[in-house]
Amino acid sequence: MNQDWPAAGLDPVRRMRVLAATTPGVAYAEKLIPAPFDAVWDAASDLEHELPRMVTDLRSFKITSARGERMTARARGRLGQRAGFDVVLRPGWCVMQSRFLVGGMAAVAEEGGTRFAFLGGLRLPGMRLIGPLIRPAARKLALRPISRLEHRLRTR
Amino acid sequence: MAVMTGLPGIDPALVRAAQRGDRIAMAGLMDALAPYVGKLCGPIALQDGPDAAQEALIAILKSLRGLREPAAIYGWARAIAVREAVRVARKAARVVPAELADVPAPGDPQLVTDVRDVLARLTPEHRAVLVLRDLEGLDERAAGALLNVPPATVRTRLFRARRSFRKAWLE
Repeated sequence: MNQDWPAAGLDPVRRMRVLAATTPGVAYAEKLIPAPFDAVWDAASDLEHELPRMVTDLRSFKITSARGERMTARARGRLGQRAGFDVVLRPGWCVMQSRFLVGGMAAVAEEGGTRFAFLGGLRLPGMRLIGPLIRPAARKLALRPISRLEHRLRTR
Repeated sequence: MAVMTGLPGIDPALVRAAQRGDRIAMAGLMDALAPYVGKLCGPIALQDGPDAAQEALIAILKSLRGLREPAAIYGWARAIAVREAVRVARKAARVVPAELADVPAPGDPQLVTDVRDVLARLTPEHRAVLVLRDLEGLDERAAGALLNVPPATVRTRLFRARRSFRKAWLE
């Protein structure tokens, strides 16, 4: 009988909401992109090419090793900063983390297109305190990479 | 911990890393806990199950630092998930659940055999008792402690809920 009890599923965008709600001070936004899931995720998951387009502070993002859904990457910023990232990437889900930065993307097919979520922020002491203060501005910041991805999909 | 058997093991190192603020570990822990949390929240919150599972995981991860023993994570997550599921279901209050006495008697044409339909006729608190006893195998004392009600209340709720449930189920 147990198999007949109705279980609740948690899609990747809901999981990213959980990560956003439990990571102090991050910028988080989601948006319905009017394009099929495969088209959206094919673009977004091409981290080396697409991530620097979405996050304009980023000059390059190079995958340095990959094993299953786990990867490592080396990022360079516009000002020459460098950071090593641990990455988890699978269909509809990506989380990236360096010593000082955290990022994430999630996507799920929805009526009218694809719901796409973006998360980004600093991993620093004190973010718990300033997080609530910067939340409205942070949402606008997180919408920009999504808008850039959406624009790319339209002009491809 | 006997009731926890059958669940996939969670590496204590993953829990410790998540407690230190490692977001990849936190996401991994969420992957590990999501099926279990969804299994508990679904029958209690029904159509609001995904909202309840989301809120439960937020509550679980936010208070993760308070978990002293990683091996206790399933029992700890269960307590939070059941409380969140009842809270979300009550808040949503999409329909006012029927009193148990209103559950159709056997032979009533209204009677349905679908588990979801039967659950929908119970209050969130009754559904929580059923989940803890019939799905999770807790005794009255443990279920009562988790729901903040005396064991006798659990026994009464369970007897009535189970009877209604089984009548419908067996029909």
